[in-house]
Amino acid sequence: MQDASIKKQRIEQRLARRYRADRRFRRLGLAAVLFGLVCVLILFISIFSKGYSAFWQTRIQLPLVLDAAVLGVADTADLNRADYNGLVKKTLRQLFPEVVQRGEKRKLYGLVSTGAAHQIREMLIRTPDLLGSAQEIWVPADDDVDMLMKGKIDRSLPESERRLSDLELTWLDTLAAQGRIKKVWNTTFFTAGDSREPELAGIRGAVTGSFYTLLVTLSLSFPIGVASAVYLEEFAPKNRLTDLIEVNINNLAAVPSIVFGLLGLAVFINFFGVPRSVPLVGGLVLTLMTLPTIIIAGRAALRAVPPSIREAARGIGASPLQVVFHHVLPLAMPGMLTGTIIGMAQALGETAPLLVIGMVAFIVDIPGGLTEPATVLPVQIYLWADSPELAFLEKTSAAIMVLLLFLVVMNGLAIFLRKRFECRW
Amino acid sequence: MIENGQNQQTLSAFQTLNGHGAAAPVVVSGGRVSRDDRRTVGEPLVKDPRITCRSVNVWYDKTHAIQDVTLDIGRNQVIAMIGPSGCGKSTFLRCLNRMNDTIDSCRVDGQICLDEQDILGPQVDVVSLRAQVGMVFQKPNPFPKSIYDNVAYGPRIHGLVRGRVEEDELVESSLIKAGLWDEVKDRLTSPGTGLSGGQQQRLCIARAIAVSPEVILMDEPCSALDPIATAKIEELIDELRVQFTIVIVTHSMQQAARVSQRTAYFHLGELIEVGETKKIFTMPRHRLTEDYITGRFG
Ligand SMILES: Nc1ncnc2c1ncn2[C@@H]1O[C@H](COP(=O)(O)OP(=O)(O)O)[C@@H](O)[C@H]1O
Ligand SMILES: [Mg+2]
Repeated sequence: MQDASIKKQRIEQRLARRYRADRRFRRLGLAAVLFGLVCVLILFISIFSKGYSAFWQTRIQLPLVLDAAVLGVADTADLNRADYNGLVKKTLRQLFPEVVQRGEKRKLYGLVSTGAAHQIREMLIRTPDLLGSAQEIWVPADDDVDMLMKGKIDRSLPESERRLSDLELTWLDTLAAQGRIKKVWNTTFFTAGDSREPELAGIRGAVTGSFYTLLVTLSLSFPIGVASAVYLEEFAPKNRLTDLIEVNINNLAAVPSIVFGLLGLAVFINFFGVPRSVPLVGGLVLTLMTLPTIIIAGRAALRAVPPSIREAARGIGASPLQVVFHHVLPLAMPGMLTGTIIGMAQALGETAPLLVIGMVAFIVDIPGGLTEPATVLPVQIYLWADSPELAFLEKTSAAIMVLLLFLVVMNGLAIFLRKRFECRW
Repeated sequence: MIENGQNQQTLSAFQTLNGHGAAAPVVVSGGRVSRDDRRTVGEPLVKDPRITCRSVNVWYDKTHAIQDVTLDIGRNQVIAMIGPSGCGKSTFLRCLNRMNDTIDSCRVDGQICLDEQDILGPQVDVVSLRAQVGMVFQKPNPFPKSIYDNVAYGPRIHGLVRGRVEEDELVESSLIKAGLWDEVKDRLTSPGTGLSGGQQQRLCIARAIAVSPEVILMDEPCSALDPIATAKIEELIDELRVQFTIVIVTHSMQQAARVSQRTAYFHLGELIEVGETKKIFTMPRHRLTEDYITGRFG
């Protein structure tokens, strides 16, 4: 009797301790997850709060008189060479006739982006009939004006520490009072290539460059990676040589990416003569970098296919190739695709190796193919983050948001594929 | 079945084959063969065999997993392989359709003939061999495909069917033979992995018989199943005997007694005793066999 009660007591004491340990462990785990989430949240909030304003753009309305004399053209045939800048300047002078000093005039002209003239030119070339008419046109404002309208320039600072002088502020206030200033959705950001002027810079060039680069990477690394994984896992004899290959593939996955860039520079550019700065060579370099990831993920996916399926297929008389292609590969495909997409996501975010092969050049034009100079999103971010203009700060964050969006979409796709094609047995 | 005189005859023939010579008769009538005598006792040879195995040895690297086994497998019979775990029953079974080929460390020598055709030779096409010698595994392993595709897969890869109608007929007849048709005929397109364990195993049997093999190898086909499913499979094995030759490995002596006509007892890689099932279970000649079937060791 005595013994039994002591035993019970001891077990209960012990039990309480076990439960406490259990709860402690769970709380720790939860705390770790929460910490991670909070960090991600802070990152997202900081990027979002800095970057969302880049999706809007300040525009100024100019009452243009598209006078052939002012433009310096005789007829519509000369529209290519017309003096649109002069027209913009004249219009601004008419808006503020009291400005006569040269320095002040220059400041006045500076309110409007240099892209205004370009915009008017495009418009006139598209519809030459407008020549001679009067038009109210919304043109992009200079980036400093844009910053002011977005509240990023503090009016209370002394004039000498401000990017905009008191005079400019009064002009802008006048324009605003006339309803000649508004903020619109920034389509330029999505349709333009890079530019020295923040208000004219966009990510289209970088996104296109990234697209072509990843296209090369995907179309090379997926088939090569899957084929290597299948060969190594299913067909290769297990000997010294394949052990060596396996070790080296694992090592390659850990090689710093810039080394692949140097390799690409030496092999693809210097030896094979592929042009620099083009998506083709970028894609080749990223293929080198992504291959180990895809091969390792692919082999893991193949190994996860239960041996009983292989035995079943062999037992019924399937040839080794049929075993792999009819049974093993379909079951491993979701895992392989997940690995590939994760590899692609890595490649999308990769900067260092691309700097080495010259994809860091300042490129205004949107690349039209695999062999035209291009840059990619992360490099664009790097370039913008390096720029002194305040307006590039929000552009940087906005570009990061676009990059993150692509990454989230790609990872979502990976999860979707896994869920969709995953097969239980 | 086989008279005593004939027994002696076949046995001496076997001994010559086996290299033991005519001396030292193995059969000790009315007595016991001692535990230390490891020569095969009983009737390893039969008239008109489907498969003949002569001096088969199997090594895994240095492990001598099967030692000098000589055995005939009779036509349209069920032969059961029993023995303690690790004695090489599966290894021997897997020699019969060359499934050991995929194990790098495994080396097989000796002679195994299926209807006069040597199946161990390098010139043998294992793919077509496995269309002749089907296999059912311990754990039911249907493909993660539909029930229909599971059964149709073998005939498709071997090109046995022409057109959808023929294929439908073959799938139906195979499922009927495997006793599964009534249970699955309304859901042929649902995945085979969604069936119960016993149904899955019968699906695997249907898959094996769809290619009309001559021999079906079964490696402990019921060890993962409940008693009712087991009973169904045993019944099925008995029916299939009419058309196929069946080699079944089992750890259940009752099962061996129920389904088989001949029984072979393996011990540490050696074939100790083989003979008519009834005789083995009622009058084992070898002390090791007796120990095993009386449960003195397992
Ligand atoms: N793939 C393998 N590699 C090495 N040894 C093996 C392998 N398969 C089986 N063996 C060995 O061969 C012997 C017989 O195994 P097995 O045929 O599986 O026995 P059983 O089926 O009778 O239980 C055992 O000693 C086992 O350890
Ligand atoms: Mg076994």
